[in-house]
Amino acid sequence: MIAADLSVILPEIVLSLYAMAALLIAVYNGKDAVASLVLRLTVAVLFLAALWVGLDHNDTRVGFGGMFIDDGFARFAKVTILLAASAVLLMSENYMARRNLLRFEYPILIVLAVVGMMVMVSAGDLMALYMGLELQSLALYVVAALRRDSVKSTEAGLKYYVLGALSSGLLLYGASLTYGFAGTTEFAGILQATQSGDLSLGLLFGLVFLISGLAFKVSAAPFHMWTPDVYEGSPTPVTAFFGTAPKMAAMALFARVAHDAFGAATADWGQVVALLSVASMFLGGIAAIGQTNIKRLMAYSSIAHMGYALMGLAAGTAFGVQAMLVYMAIYVTMNVGTFAFIMTMSRNGQPVTDIASLNNLSARDPLKALAMLVLMFSLAGVPPLVGFFGKYYVLNAALQADMAWLAVAGVIASVIGAFYYLRIVYYMYFGTETDPLDTVETPLLTSLVVASAAVMVVGIINLFGVEGFAAVAAASLVQ
Amino acid sequence: MADHSEHPASFWTAASLLPPLIAAALFAVFTTFLPAVAAGETLRYAWGWIPALGVDFSFVIDGLSLTFSLLISGIGIAVMLFSGRYLAGHPQHGRFSLYLVSFMLAMLGLVLADNLLVLFVFWELTTITSFLLIGFSHGSEVSRRAALQALLVTGAGGLAMLAGFLLIGAETGTFELSALREMGDVLRDSPLYIPILILVLCGAFTKSAQFPFHFWLPNAMAAPTPVSAFLHSATMVKGGVYLLARMHPNLAGTNTWLWTLVIFGAFTTVFASIVALRQNDLKQTLAYTTLMALGALVLFLAAPGGYAVTAAATFLVVHSLYKAALFLTIGCVDHATGTRDARRLGGLARRMPLTALAGGLAALSMAGMVPFIGFIGKELLYKGGLESPASPIIVTGAIFAASALMFAVAGVVALRPFWGSDGKMPLLDRPIREAPLPMLAGPLVLGVLGLYFGLSPHGLQVHVTDPIVGAILGDPDMAKELYLWAGFNLALILSILTFATGVAIYVFQDRIRERIVAAESRLMNFDALWDRLLAAIGTGARVVTDLLQPGIASRYLMAVFTTITLLIGSAILIRGLDIGTVGLSGVDGVHVVVFGLTIAGTLLAVVTNSRIAAITGLGVTGTGVALVFIMFGAPDVAITQILVEMLIVVLFSVAALKLPTLPQRLPFFHRRAHAAVSIALGAIVAGVVIAVTSVPLDLRLTEFFEANSYPEAHGRNIVNVILVDFRAFDTFGEISVVAIAAISAYALLRQRKTKGSQ
Amino acid sequence: METLLAMTLGCLVAAGVYLMLAGDLLRFLFGLTLISNAVNLAIFTSGRITVGGTPPLVPDGAYEPAGDVANALPQALILTAIVIGFGLFAFALVLTLKAYGLLGTIDIDKMRLSEAKPDEDKA
Repeated sequence: MIAADLSVILPEIVLSLYAMAALLIAVYNGKDAVASLVLRLTVAVLFLAALWVGLDHNDTRVGFGGMFIDDGFARFAKVTILLAASAVLLMSENYMARRNLLRFEYPILIVLAVVGMMVMVSAGDLMALYMGLELQSLALYVVAALRRDSVKSTEAGLKYYVLGALSSGLLLYGASLTYGFAGTTEFAGILQATQSGDLSLGLLFGLVFLISGLAFKVSAAPFHMWTPDVYEGSPTPVTAFFGTAPKMAAMALFARVAHDAFGAATADWGQVVALLSVASMFLGGIAAIGQTNIKRLMAYSSIAHMGYALMGLAAGTAFGVQAMLVYMAIYVTMNVGTFAFIMTMSRNGQPVTDIASLNNLSARDPLKALAMLVLMFSLAGVPPLVGFFGKYYVLNAALQADMAWLAVAGVIASVIGAFYYLRIVYYMYFGTETDPLDTVETPLLTSLVVASAAVMVVGIINLFGVEGFAAVAAASLVQ
Repeated sequence: MADHSEHPASFWTAASLLPPLIAAALFAVFTTFLPAVAAGETLRYAWGWIPALGVDFSFVIDGLSLTFSLLISGIGIAVMLFSGRYLAGHPQHGRFSLYLVSFMLAMLGLVLADNLLVLFVFWELTTITSFLLIGFSHGSEVSRRAALQALLVTGAGGLAMLAGFLLIGAETGTFELSALREMGDVLRDSPLYIPILILVLCGAFTKSAQFPFHFWLPNAMAAPTPVSAFLHSATMVKGGVYLLARMHPNLAGTNTWLWTLVIFGAFTTVFASIVALRQNDLKQTLAYTTLMALGALVLFLAAPGGYAVTAAATFLVVHSLYKAALFLTIGCVDHATGTRDARRLGGLARRMPLTALAGGLAALSMAGMVPFIGFIGKELLYKGGLESPASPIIVTGAIFAASALMFAVAGVVALRPFWGSDGKMPLLDRPIREAPLPMLAGPLVLGVLGLYFGLSPHGLQVHVTDPIVGAILGDPDMAKELYLWAGFNLALILSILTFATGVAIYVFQDRIRERIVAAESRLMNFDALWDRLLAAIGTGARVVTDLLQPGIASRYLMAVFTTITLLIGSAILIRGLDIGTVGLSGVDGVHVVVFGLTIAGTLLAVVTNSRIAAITGLGVTGTGVALVFIMFGAPDVAITQILVEMLIVVLFSVAALKLPTLPQRLPFFHRRAHAAVSIALGAIVAGVVIAVTSVPLDLRLTEFFEANSYPEAHGRNIVNVILVDFRAFDTFGEISVVAIAAISAYALLRQRKTKGSQ
Repeated sequence: METLLAMTLGCLVAAGVYLMLAGDLLRFLFGLTLISNAVNLAIFTSGRITVGGTPPLVPDGAYEPAGDVANALPQALILTAIVIGFGLFAFALVLTLKAYGLLGTIDIDKMRLSEAKPDEDKA
């Protein structure tokens, strides 16, 4: 039994062991001197892990008496998480090394956070969920505060912790209520206990607390407040990480709890999630308009985007989950490109993040400006770029679930979204040049920006088949 | 723009030649469909695209889409030929040609699409290409502002339209226009009809610049002249009209549709033709006459009558022909003289006879003179107005006013510059010459076509207006015939009156112009309003953000707690909380002491300003909780609890050495809101826990552990067995979490040390 | 009995929330400690308490526990929660120390750098 259980969590174990080994090796071999090597090795390990998880098998396996589920849904999320983490690490090396931020804990903490995320998306039990979440959060608290001597960075880490700790408390309280009413913390058991249809008030409360805790992690309004500070205060590669892998993990976890544990009560949570979705789309959009810092803007934009992803979830159907997964996969890809772009922004060697510094970039660096234009249009959901299809997917899911009001709200919110993404394009193409940015050759970052933009254009042919994988994944979650 | 004419040789480049060739090829292809469409056929082509979303790449060719396609590609030839010469030598001529061709393809996609989503995609593509073309001379602040304004207005309208499409899809289950046209009643009877109508009209009215969204179109004249001729007059702005025509079978036929279109169309057409008269820049004049035409088209798509729709179809073609020709003519004049100011131009017919011919032909059609197609168009408008089910007086009156003003404006645009007294045109240091052939060919052909169709309207009727009426009303037999001489009737009398009034307006134009200028200054200026709107959005967004994101962590926490209190509180209020029996059975002295101790410790921690007292209070509380565990049969938990509690106290005490004293708290009455939320949350938690315990618990899982603990796992302490055996995964994770906490703490402390050593 | 427990933990929650809202890091941590105690009690109570119950042990020679024993499952869950909670707490304390060293204050409401308005920036 134990051997079978272990084989289910083998990838997680291997990654944990790798992290420990890397830690030991680094500590005994000159610490930061080998940071660069550890980072490159980690990129490769994460990438290989993604291949392994994605290609190894395609059946559903359950370990530890249902506490750990390895199904198509979990694998879709894990592959996205691993690839995103690998890409973000890859692009951070140069940036961090140049600014003397590269230390050996960084890649190791990322690996540990990734392990936490993998546990989260595979959780089949409230306690496993809680552990995965804490595993991830702890590592993230530290990377948020990673910037040496930076007051902002410390402050960001602290605020993140203060609100994150609270969300963990809420989650745990929700778990205890759920246990009190259902008699079990296993998702399958909770599903059975709620099979009768109407959710008892106690379970409803448990659900509300659980959702509040999860909403923190996906940074849905009104639980989003940590996001802008953390995005702005963290070093840009860390922000890029925040904007990709943990978002996917938290959304997947949300879907997992909603469907695996409370799948019989979709009507009850559907409404709450729909409210979160609307609040996030509008709040994120409106707040983004006034931003002058591109990292803060991306923070608010991420809140708005989580609103759209939640719209898919709110539908409460397999198609909704599929839409959410497609949306998230597209979103993560766009974010990798956008943050690679932000990392190339510097003046006199110092990172710059104010939007006005992009003035007239198109004249000096037409390729990068064009790629960024594509990414911004895609984020705004301008057709026919891939970002538009992500939006269209979730809108459709809401419509099919008879939530036309939600879909209309989503479209109206995207008008606001168009406004602030366009402002960036406007600066790049029509702005009057003031104080030009450095033109440092960053071939790796530039090619990531261009590749991500190319995906947004070429993907319109068939979305690279992502929708097929997402459909399989969704089917394995929602029976 | 005008100074590039010194390099005539550069006309023979790919950037100049390729676009007209592409347009010509497309035009030729579309003409091959004419016989089939004239015979009443509808052709549909579809390829699967995103099956999961029900989106097919589908196109339809019927009277409506074919006419539009022919206009787009046909006028495209003229415009692209023109711009090839007009922009020759411009450093970014290639880019311009690329944008222009992209626009043409997007516009063709828009009118040919059968799937609403495909239509939307192309719709937004035309918006974007229009943005790029208006902002082509992006060195100029005016261009940039106009480009952004056009993009935001039409883009937002397009998104509203998408929302409308989604609702249509939700109501009917299909996005295919060809399937939808059979389902008009489903939509008209739907409770969502009004929202759908509003959203779709938002799209159509912004694109076709109906009042009050009209202001972007005159500003868009900042674009190079060929762009104005092509996008902002002949084709793109008719996208909204096209949408209304397409949606006619699905949405028209209600009073809401009828009156909305009549009111907006009539107001736009009269308002625009009045303002047109007062413009000095000829391009602005033409922009307002475009608004007038768009208003008239909207007005005539309101009613489902045969005359009205025939009139709309005819006027669509009429307007596209003369307006493109006039714009290009003005472009030639601008090119040759360096000005478009009506007050400076005059007597150009002698130096630019062919340009004058083209402008004159187009202006005659615009004025609605016999025997031009413009006359037939105007007659049909009157006939359609007279049979309007809304209000013949309003519709006919609006058309009368607009036509009379158009007559006068035609005089302003063509008569004065070419045949008026010599103007003051010393702007360029070279002599004024006839425009080169590539620039002249288009307007000449378009002008002659206006005459040709007027003399022989039958071909136009068979191939264009009949199929359009068939596409819109579903029955080509409802189409009316096009006659130059339709007998002596009310429409003819109105025409004659129109000429008379038009002549009068032309003669007294200066005095009328003064009046308009005076009146205008007292009216709302929508363009200025737009700037204020943008500023207000920016300020509003900042205010909201400052309010929601003040950077004060305790406010964030407060927001979270309040949200939860409200969520749970409202759930309790709605569904009521059954907390069962509130009994104190089984309580004895020991319990009271233990609970009392716990609460006392808590209170101490809350009220004190001393760190040591607070830490002591916490210790007491922790011990109290441990005692509770012991009392109710959980010694393992109690031991752990005590251990952890001791560690916490020790750590706190050590940390306290390095931390400052507790800041003085605000007195209680400053934190009433905090206290209220805290107490509410505490009460809710207590209430919910009581409710939890008042229902029986499903103990199967516990019983399973009790039964299997020894036989399966050979352990007598069931808690331990659960931890290490049945829930080993928890324990694995638990260890990982503690390990990470240790690494994290190390990482942070290391930073601190590094800082100290620097 | 459950009522008394529930009210006690209600007090803990109210006190904890009030402390967390106070705006300084040390009080926030105090509040957090109280709330984790409250949550543990909530899990415990949710498993139903057995007045006079004995610890869940299987007596020698028997295969199942005899008589009224306390519910074993929540105890296992609480143990997990306590340990994780402690890990978090220890980390938080370190973070607080670092923040104080770098920012010179433990008043979180004064940490507004990232939200600072332009004019405050210059000040």
